[in-house]
Amino acid sequence: MLLPSCIIIRPSFRITTTFYKPSSHWRHHIVPINHSRRLSVPTFINSASISTASSTTVEDHTPSVMAQDGSTPHHPLQVAKRLEKFKTTIFTQMSSLAIEHGAINLGQGFPNFDGPDFVKDVAIQAIKDGKNQYARGFGVPDLNSAIAARFHKDTGLTVDPEKEITVTSGCTEAIAATILGLINPGDEVIVFAPFYDSYEATLSMAGAKITCITLRPPDFSLPIEELKSKVSKNTRAILMNTPHNPTGKMFTREELGQIASLCIENDVLVFSDEVYDKLSFEMDHISIASLPGMYERTVTLNSLGKTFSLTGWKIGWAIAPTHLIWGVKQAHSYLTFATSTPMQYAAAAALRAPDSYYEELRKDYKAKKEILVEGLKSVGFNVYPSSGTYFVVVDHTPFGLPNDVAFCEYLIKEVGVVAIPTSVFYLDPSEGKNLVRFTFCKDEETLRNAVGRMKERLARK
Amino acid sequence: MEKKLSSIAKSLKPSPIQQLSLLAQRGNAVNLAEGFPDFPAPPHIKAAALSAITSDFNQYRHVQGICSLLVDKMKQMHGLDVDPLTDIAICCGQTEAFAATMFAIINPGDEVILFEPSFETYGTCISMAGGIPVYVALDPPYWTLDEVKLLDAFTAKTKALVLNSPHNPTGKVFNMGELEIIAEYCRTKDCIAITDEVYEHIIYDNEPHISLASLPGMQNRTIITSSLSKTYSVTGWRVGWAIGPSCIASAIRNIHTKVTDSAPAPFQEAALTALRSPPEYYISLRAEYESKRDFVFKLLCQVGFQVEFKPLGSFFIFAALPETCKLTDVEFVEELIKEAGVVAVPGCGFFHTKHDYHNRYIRFAFCKDDATLTSAARKMQQLVDASGRLRFL
Repeated sequence: MLLPSCIIIRPSFRITTTFYKPSSHWRHHIVPINHSRRLSVPTFINSASISTASSTTVEDHTPSVMAQDGSTPHHPLQVAKRLEKFKTTIFTQMSSLAIEHGAINLGQGFPNFDGPDFVKDVAIQAIKDGKNQYARGFGVPDLNSAIAARFHKDTGLTVDPEKEITVTSGCTEAIAATILGLINPGDEVIVFAPFYDSYEATLSMAGAKITCITLRPPDFSLPIEELKSKVSKNTRAILMNTPHNPTGKMFTREELGQIASLCIENDVLVFSDEVYDKLSFEMDHISIASLPGMYERTVTLNSLGKTFSLTGWKIGWAIAPTHLIWGVKQAHSYLTFATSTPMQYAAAAALRAPDSYYEELRKDYKAKKEILVEGLKSVGFNVYPSSGTYFVVVDHTPFGLPNDVAFCEYLIKEVGVVAIPTSVFYLDPSEGKNLVRFTFCKDEETLRNAVGRMKERLARK
Repeated sequence: MEKKLSSIAKSLKPSPIQQLSLLAQRGNAVNLAEGFPDFPAPPHIKAAALSAITSDFNQYRHVQGICSLLVDKMKQMHGLDVDPLTDIAICCGQTEAFAATMFAIINPGDEVILFEPSFETYGTCISMAGGIPVYVALDPPYWTLDEVKLLDAFTAKTKALVLNSPHNPTGKVFNMGELEIIAEYCRTKDCIAITDEVYEHIIYDNEPHISLASLPGMQNRTIITSSLSKTYSVTGWRVGWAIGPSCIASAIRNIHTKVTDSAPAPFQEAALTALRSPPEYYISLRAEYESKRDFVFKLLCQVGFQVEFKPLGSFFIFAALPETCKLTDVEFVEELIKEAGVVAVPGCGFFHTKHDYHNRYIRFAFCKDDATLTSAARKMQQLVDASGRLRFL
């Protein structure tokens, strides 16, 4: 890589507003950000750079503070309308409350144990060897190759690492770059609720028209008739996640086949978020890109963080055929330009890990899952089956609280355990009011302690 | 399938400059094109990163300590009072800070004023957010601000203005007079300013770096973006920030959370060490870059370029091809690679409107090891004619 990729763009084009057809819901006034959820800031936030301990970790990055300067006469809020979807997240609020009450945090989706030494050592060596400058924008060649090799092993598909892969700052950025690179204002995109909270926000950033299909308990299976009724020639893309956060559902071959035939028939793209693909327990993970006729219309998204317990390294990627990867690559180059260099070298080593690593990983997580699931069942939750990810979703209604947020607050204050209310993962929050999400990406002792507290203090009504 | 691309993606094309990169790579040329160092990052900062990785700072985190240190810097350097809890967003590099800022403040159709020549990313980022970049040309040879041109650029749709100082590619540092003009227009036209101050510590001849935000009436309408990259020679670590009025900083943080979620954790940790570097670090950074600047300036003048001034900041020299040279900038760089084995960047990539000079400039980077610079000098000096000028200039 010789020149920063930003230099490579010819300036001879003109962008005019006629490219954009704002959909009718755009208005030209600006709205203030909703700061109605107010929690005072715990003093720990000033010294938040401490090592992680399960009850004190901060997941989120947005201190939950009151914004002071609502509006002054000469300086009205000047923020874009798209920000209605971008509020302080539930994770921050729950985390703050958790710390206040010394609660065990089974809400945050990241481990309280660290990644493997063989991966960390490569990053350390890379830093020592001076690999601290800009990497090639779309990825260090060695990492692109490792991604291609791993993808081939997992799906049988052969992709060109130089032309069909873009490395990004985590899968979150891969999603953002895919949406911004391939979606125009007004394009219709189908999502399945509940969904990871960046989907809705990023789609609204791109001005997409969101069509939501809800996956329902007990098995969160694909409502195929509803999908058939909602997919049309006007649908630009389907954004899906398997294994699925928060439910742990994994799309079956049959379901994927149904999605595939609708996409082929109507010329629809698929953006498939597969970050938990290695945390598949009850069935094998299938990438929709591997189905006949699908590679050419699929962007497959993944990352290092979950598989290797290094969520803070921010190494993700998108794999797609050249005619789609171009858009992703361009958007990426203007979002972050390049991804952290030493971590990319380490990620390449990680992806070349032997099968035994993945087997150990699954075995480990299966044991943790059992502790949590058995515990939750014995306490009296209605636990829905989770085939993959490190999450389980449960029905909390046996405990008599009116909704998921109230239940989670009660759980923190009275029981000393954190779960996440799922309403934040739905377009219509009321659809999540009976469900809360627990994670088991914690060491076994932490899980046992949490279960112990719930057994002791959580009473069915 | 091409129709599946977004409008923005479709409008972007790769450039002949990419061909030059390949040419340079094949010939193993001395690279004075890339805007990043080929010398190692400071040991104390690398050590901090290594320590962070081994101490398991590897999960998602937001290192609030960075904000406290930035608050001190803003006070020390610019006399600004910044609230560490509400006014700062830590991002994946200045690139993301800028992108998130654009998404935070630009509605489709909003105009954003930029000074050219300008770093390419700004304009495209603005367009990606639905805005319209409007370019105001700085006047060669000293790249001075023309107040009339600036005034003309404002319309009812102008939402914001971008200021990069010290400036890439020219090495210009906007002086107080120019900043006052810009500030006056921002105030009277109620315009938001976004600054890119990544070269804030790479400044020479005792020239002060003045942040636009420190001028009267500007702090509550300016977002400062910067990063670790250039100051600490770690362009590959991706830790940057945006500092601004709390409602905008909050919006930027929220967008950042949805775009990348967080900056790399171990490098945020190392940022604490970097930002605590002693004054000697910055003094010696400036002194080293200054001597590299002087070396390259002298070299370029010797071999026949027209370099009207020594840059006061950044690590670039924007040298003009003399009248006698019949080549365009792209053609010249091609010759430079083939004949001398040295790479530089044709200036046309920094211009967005046609001027009679837009293909007369070459950008040389001097953020390179002395050995690299000496090697470049030797190679170029081998190709001079009797008058001491490069044969093809």
